[in-house]
Amino acid sequence: MRNKLSFFHTTIMIYMFQSGVVILSMPHILAYYFGTNGWLAVILISLIVNVNIGFIFLVYRLGKGRSVFEILEQSVSKVILFPLYIALAILWTVLGSLVSKDYVHIFQLFSFPNTPPMLLTVLMGLLALMLLVKGIFVIERAATIFFWLIIWMLLLLFAFSYDFEWVRLTPFVFKEGDNFLLGGLNLLKGFLGYELSLFLFPYSDKRTKLIQAVIIANVMITLVYFITCFIAYGFYSLNQLKGVLYPVIDMMSYIKFPFVQRVENLFYGFFMFTNLFSTVAYVWAAKEACQRVFKKVKPGILAVVLIIIGFSAIAIPDVTGEVREWLAFLGFFEIGVAFILPVLLILVLITQRIMGGAR
Amino acid sequence: MIKGILSGNVALFHESDTYIVDVYGPAARAIEQSQTETVITGPHDAFTEQANSNLSLIRERLKSSHLKVIKLEVGEVAKSNAYILYIKDIANMDYVNELASRIKAMEIDTVYDTNMLIQCIDDNPSSIFPQFISTERPDTAVSKLSDGKVLCFLDGSPSIVSVPASFFEFFTSSDDYYQRWAIGSATRLLRLVAFIITITFTAVYVSITTFHYEMIPEHLLLSLTESRNRVPFPPLYEALLMETTIELLREAGARLPTKIGQTIGIVGGIVIGQSAVQAGFTSNILVIAVASSAIASFVVPNYVMSASIRLVRFGLIILAGLLGNFGLAAGIAAVVIHLSGLTSLGSSYLSPVAPFHSSDWKDVFIRAPFSLFTRRPSQSKSPNKIRNKMRK
Repeated sequence: MRNKLSFFHTTIMIYMFQSGVVILSMPHILAYYFGTNGWLAVILISLIVNVNIGFIFLVYRLGKGRSVFEILEQSVSKVILFPLYIALAILWTVLGSLVSKDYVHIFQLFSFPNTPPMLLTVLMGLLALMLLVKGIFVIERAATIFFWLIIWMLLLLFAFSYDFEWVRLTPFVFKEGDNFLLGGLNLLKGFLGYELSLFLFPYSDKRTKLIQAVIIANVMITLVYFITCFIAYGFYSLNQLKGVLYPVIDMMSYIKFPFVQRVENLFYGFFMFTNLFSTVAYVWAAKEACQRVFKKVKPGILAVVLIIIGFSAIAIPDVTGEVREWLAFLGFFEIGVAFILPVLLILVLITQRIMGGAR
Repeated sequence: MIKGILSGNVALFHESDTYIVDVYGPAARAIEQSQTETVITGPHDAFTEQANSNLSLIRERLKSSHLKVIKLEVGEVAKSNAYILYIKDIANMDYVNELASRIKAMEIDTVYDTNMLIQCIDDNPSSIFPQFISTERPDTAVSKLSDGKVLCFLDGSPSIVSVPASFFEFFTSSDDYYQRWAIGSATRLLRLVAFIITITFTAVYVSITTFHYEMIPEHLLLSLTESRNRVPFPPLYEALLMETTIELLREAGARLPTKIGQTIGIVGGIVIGQSAVQAGFTSNILVIAVASSAIASFVVPNYVMSASIRLVRFGLIILAGLLGNFGLAAGIAAVVIHLSGLTSLGSSYLSPVAPFHSSDWKDVFIRAPFSLFTRRPSQSKSPNKIRNKMRK
């Protein structure tokens, strides 16, 4: 068995890392911050993400596929690096766990409002743990199966073909918006997950075509966001979009089948799969970072400890508002990590080259 | 020599030489139809408990000098013979060697059946799902050999196992190849639909009637509430009661002679089903759901897989009864994660979906025309990937 990731599965896995529940509120975010024809912003943000992927490509090329930890440890003292690893691991563990809690809070808007949210969140934590203990190759295989289980939902968008009105799009672009920068950052959070490809270097070889996989995954997620938001803009008016917090859920509840209606109840369950992978992605990255510090601890035990820490930490934010505040705060931090870490690595690699050349 | 005598042969001493003469001819069951893998068209013969007879059934269909047999001894006390069959230059020798080493490493007194043998050597013994596919049909066995798979069977067992196996392989039947390709393909898709119905139908009923009544359209809601208004139990208990009854009927039917088994089916299906609804124990819509998922479970051609799926269904019903659609989604996620982690002789159980091999899909989800079967399944990792060309 080839012990490297395959191109196809890596593409799907990165797509699954990126996708999450942000899509449910994305048309609202676009309408609120960008105003008319806000769906165009999806492409702009996607381009910015591609620039960041370009930095990751440079790290991959300059580092010749070496692990980012190896690159850093070659030049920077472990006294500085280990606290940094721990800090990153805490950020990723809590962020990953928070994503699960956010999902549960949204679910409780229409089902199980009286059930303690932590009960449902812990169940998601157990599912994440099931994947984490099996390692990246099983995560990759599972991502593909879950991808097929959810991607068909895009076909549901055809249900709105009769209610889509071109007139709602208006010829004006980005009018009645609020704060482009804040909106852009909020939108960027929906694309996060691709930056974790930095930690896939040791599991890749030439046949993995890692960077190509990340770019294609980003194109896929852009298309999904773009189509969904575009249809939402033609389905709702701008003011409706500004007023509805989760327009995509309401769109799903609009769909009726002969035997079943209010399908958002069922289909929202399927969103658990994408959300699960966001959680798994971050906790897996945290595990990789911790493994460098605690080399003798078995990966399975590290995963259990991280899940316990993460899900204990997210018991603190109680109501949806607090969860969202935490998510916003940690999400902005993660955007910083996504952009700064590759630049830092490029600087380290250039320094290593200069030093190597001088020797 | 002692081993030969213990195996039923005669030792003939002549001067300083000793000859072992095979005069062993124990009473054996005649070659009959398989009870578990019946087909409508195609050959009807099935393996028996005699290893020599089984080997001859395969040799009859595969007159190749490349067909090789490895004989191994299994069981510290019973010393049964296990046979590994493969086609040289088509099967991957890594699989052959791995299988042989696992059989040799077995530490057990006695093994009575091939299905017992595989549980001792499969990759994940604690899993609900079978990881090696077993068959009683010589035509299926030969097709597996030509796919590059490795066969294994035990003397005294009518089952032959093929390794490595994939989850989706359990939904194929030799009948698919004897029908026209379009009918074979439609039947395969039907089986996959049946799989989805089996594991989710009752669970979705429980979930909707317990937590998500708003999902039922108005015109259906009326008949559903009418059928449920006399039932004193929550849908979870109601469903578990009926599912257990169905399982009792199935088990009773399987243990009794065929004629009495049919009577049990009638008594259970009609009398108990009808009476349970009239007595207000259960709603008639649940009876439809339970019966549909039971029928769908029997559409799965492999009995071992069918039994595994039925057990998983109970878990999903309980999760749906406790946590509604959330529980159902979590249950499905747990099953998929478990399946993703399984391997069969080291190769992925979910091949050809993960790892993704689109060229194999035409003999997994559909049964394409034979002229399109130009490659052996990638899971076999055969050194001879291309099949003989067929005229188009």
